[in-house]
Order: sequence, then C-alpha cells, then structure tokens
Amino acid sequence: MSVVWLLLREVRHRKLNFALGLVAVAAAAALPICVLTLCEAADRETTRLMRNMGFNLLIVPKGLSMTDFWSHDFSRADMPEEYVHRISQSKRLLVQHLVARLQRKTEWHGRQVLLTGLLPEVPMRYLPDKANMGLEIPRGEAYFGSEVARSTGTKRGDTVRIGSRGRSRTLRVAKCLAETGSLDDIRIYAHLRDVQDLLGLPGRISEIQALSCQCQGERLPRIRKDLAAELPDTQVTEFRSIAVARAETRDLMARYAAFLTPAAALVCALWVALLAWGNVRERRAEIGLLRALGVGSGQVGALFMGRAVLLGLIGGALGFLVGTTVALCFRFQLFPLTGGKAEAQWSLLLWAALGAPVLCAVAAYVPTLVAVTQDPARVLTEE
Amino acid sequence: MIALDHVRKVYRRGRHEVAALGDVSLAIQRGEFAAVRGPSGSGKSTLLMVVAGMARPTAGRVTFDGHDLYALSARERAAIRAQRVGFVFQLFHLLPYLTVWENVASPLLSGGLVTRSDIAAVVERVGLSGRVDHRPAELSAGERQRVALARALLKRPDVILADEPTGNLDPDNARQVMAHLAEFHRGGGTVVLVTHEVFAEPYAQRTVHLEAGNLIGGEPRTHAP
Repeated sequence: MSVVWLLLREVRHRKLNFALGLVAVAAAAALPICVLTLCEAADRETTRLMRNMGFNLLIVPKGLSMTDFWSHDFSRADMPEEYVHRISQSKRLLVQHLVARLQRKTEWHGRQVLLTGLLPEVPMRYLPDKANMGLEIPRGEAYFGSEVARSTGTKRGDTVRIGSRGRSRTLRVAKCLAETGSLDDIRIYAHLRDVQDLLGLPGRISEIQALSCQCQGERLPRIRKDLAAELPDTQVTEFRSIAVARAETRDLMARYAAFLTPAAALVCALWVALLAWGNVRERRAEIGLLRALGVGSGQVGALFMGRAVLLGLIGGALGFLVGTTVALCFRFQLFPLTGGKAEAQWSLLLWAALGAPVLCAVAAYVPTLVAVTQDPARVLTEE
Repeated sequence: MIALDHVRKVYRRGRHEVAALGDVSLAIQRGEFAAVRGPSGSGKSTLLMVVAGMARPTAGRVTFDGHDLYALSARERAAIRAQRVGFVFQLFHLLPYLTVWENVASPLLSGGLVTRSDIAAVVERVGLSGRVDHRPAELSAGERQRVALARALLKRPDVILADEPTGNLDPDNARQVMAHLAEFHRGGGTVVLVTHEVFAEPYAQRTVHLEAGNLIGGEPRTHAP
C-alpha cells in the first residue's frame, strides 16, 4: 500500500471532482494548442491576403527627387536593369518579390496613359522560393487598366498598336484589369522588353518594387544601409502604411496566442485551486486519520500534490488532443487558402505534458500547504 | 508506560483562550485498561491527543515509555504512532473509498510488515470476514467501528487510544466493541478509553474523572469483567 495507490483509489472514488478539474485543465491547454496549431496556416493565409495590398518598398535612382516622384506619382529617372539581378544575388538584403519596371506617361487614342513595362518577378537567390505576387505578362501581350479599357472601348482579345515614330508595336490585349481606384487604372502593362523597345530605353528601368514585411522600426535603416553597400546610386522608400499593416496583421495571431495562453492558464489555475481547496476541506478528517496512523506530512503533501500533477498530466494530454482535433477539423473553414498547413504539432504535446502539471501543482500548492499544516488533533476531536 | 506531568493545554480561538486541560498529572501502566470519564467539553479527547503526540501541551511533560514525547521530532512521534499506537474514534474515520480489507490495511501506509494472513486474521477476529469487499457506506455503524478496531489492532500495538468508541453505537454493538478492547487488554495491551458513558466503566481497571480540564479521583479496580 502506497501513497500513489491511495491517490488513485481516491481519484476513482471522487470522479466528479477530478473530472471537473480535467475539464478545466483540458480547456486551458486546448485553447492555446488550437491557436498555435493554426498559427502557421493563419500566418500564410495572412501573407497571401496581405500580398494583395501590393509592394511596400520602392528602389529608385539616387538622383531622383522624391518631390518630383510624388508629384508625378511615378519615377521619370532610370537606372540599369541589371540592378534587379544584383539585388537578387544579395545575401544580406531582407527583401523579396523583386519586380523591375519601366514606366512613362504617353498619349494613346487621345488619352494620357501610363505605359508600364514589367519584368517577371526575380527570385532572391539565397531565400526560399515564394509564389509570384506581381503580374507576369508574356511578350507581345498587354494588360489594360480598367479606365483605359473602358474609355477606349478596348476588350480582351483585341489587337492594339502602341507607340509612334518608328517605335510602335502591336500587342494583343490579354486582360482588362478590374478597377483599383488608383493610378493603375490608367496603365497599359506590357513586358519590360516591349516597353524598353517602345521607349528606346534598352536595359533601363525606372524602379524596382519589392516586399519586406518586417520594415517596422529599425528594419528600414538597415535595408537602406545594406542597399547602399550593394547599389550606391539607388535609394529606397517605404510605403509605410502597407508595411505596418502587413506586419501588424501577421502579428495578430501570435498576439492572440500570447494573450490567450496566460489568460486560459490563469482561469485554469484558479479553478484547479478552488477544486483542490474543496478536496482538502472534504478530506480534513482523512488527513487527520492519516496523521494519526503515523503518515508523515511529506506523504500527505505528496497525496495532494500528486493528485494535482496527475490532473495536469491527463488534462494536458487531453487538451492537446482536443485542441489539435478542433484545429484540424476547422482549419479549412477558418483558412480556406492555407488550411492544409495546419498540422498536429507534437512538440506542443510535450509542452502540454510539462506545463499543465506544473500549473496544477502551483495552483494546488496553497491547499496542499493547508492540508499538511492543519491540526489533526482538532479535526479528530470534532464531533 | 504513559505519564502526564502537570500537563496544561490551552487553545487559542481568536482573542480568546480556552484551557482544555488545566493541570493534569496521570500515569498509565503497561497493560493497564484506564478509562477517562467526563462530560462533553471536559478535555477528554484533548487528553487523548496529547498522549498520542498529536497535540503539544502548552505546559508540562508527557512521557511515552520513558521518552519525553514532545522532545522528539514530529517524524519520531509519527513513527511511535505508526508502530506502537492504535486509534479508535467515535466517528470511525474510515476512508470512504477503500474497502473493509483496504481500510484495515491502511496503517501500512506508514510502513510495517504485515502479511495477508495477518489482515485476514484480524478481520476474522472482529467478525467481518464476509464483508471484506464492502465499502464503509455499505456497513452498519457497528460494523464500521469493528473495521476501525481491526485497523487499530493490525500492527499489534502496545496501546489503543479509544475516543468514545461506543458513542455512536447501539448497546449490542457497544458491548461487542468493549469486548474486543477487553480482549486486547487481556492479551497484555494497554487501553486508554475516553468516554462519557457509565456503561464502559466496568471494563476498565481504573477510571479517572475529568471535569473542566482537571482530574478528579481515579482509584484502580482489582478486576476487569
């Protein structure tokens, strides 16, 4: 006969008390486990959705006046196209999704349009491959902004001639883009080579668009410093609102988890402490008897602490099971694009199996102390 | 075997002090059956707890087999209780989630070597062989007290401290319990019985009276029934 044996018999006898404790611990463990299991999918989903907000970095020639840039809303200066390939070889620049473009205002069918040549996205050599977020326009084709298409009556499949004075080119309209409510609505997009030919600027670009979702705080100065080292005759500017929105949105899930975990742990600890307190109150006579039988205070303490640890172990494992199951069941409803990235994270089982017993032991500490220090003589002489 | 020398025990309840034992001096010999009688609140149970090493007296000295009980550590006092003392309480104090067999064996939690046949023998001795798998809730009051008796007897203690063991029993069951205590005494054991009932008195060799925490009288009887 041992304390462990007695503990198990008592748990079997007071099933309801133990079950209520289990529910609390399992719920407290399940909540953060569910959120953390979904975190990867949430992060990717956010990334995918935030990509629609566009690029947040713009690299332009150093000589360009930003006043001039903002007043015209595009860069009229140019720089070598080769720069985009130099950036892509950089090991230190924390940017992705490099898109080189050349753009000029021109007249077409009596209307001002922004002729924009795009190079297909250049991947960063030392960073993992990412799905393209820019437009990829084959040579000989054009994408029309909504306003240009509407005002000129251009439709998908039409063949249009762009340019003049011996530098014209026939392009097939592959797509008429949806209205964006921005300058993009008056753009005619084509492959960079076609636009370079049309403008007589071979090997030149106006700007490089890029994406860095961590441009908050001290990141931008670092990018500026690294870019200056790679390409001294360029400058970088940030579309701050986009950068901040991206960073904050991607941070949201982690912040939820960071709030939920201690909140759930606190509620669970209070609940377990209350149950442990009730258990000690209910078993005062038993504690008195055990002391009368010569059972030491260490063993009495072990009886109550052991119960809390057992509660934490089973509750933590149960919480992992419930949290993971809920996450996997609802992942595609919550994250239709990236739900598949939510998988059971077995490392969380280890954390639950370690964390929940510690939490329960902490919660049961004071009730156990009361159990150990209560006066057995007083309890045993009560009528 | 047990000696109380000018023992005083005061409980503090808030700002009030209650003297459960005033100035008690008492010696109980090995093999003696001593009864302590007195009305409710006279300090009988406190006296028993002091003797058991579970309630440190406010003043005075308690010796158990020559050892100054409260000069020993709590662990040493617990060891004495585990090895040499058996308890029987008015409210039985059985563990509700254990069977009769397991309750009888529960003193083994504090150590000791006892065989299954020892447990079976003591269960048979109190007439509960047919109920070993029952839980306390399934037993009558008399049966519960006999389980408590078997538990007290299991480790063959030197002393049984009995606190109103017949207080919740009908006369038949009370007689049975007293008969078991008398049998233990005849086997050489020491019994300290605390009671407020006259009924138990004839079993004791000596009865001391406690009133308001102080002893009154205590002449030895020559024969126990």
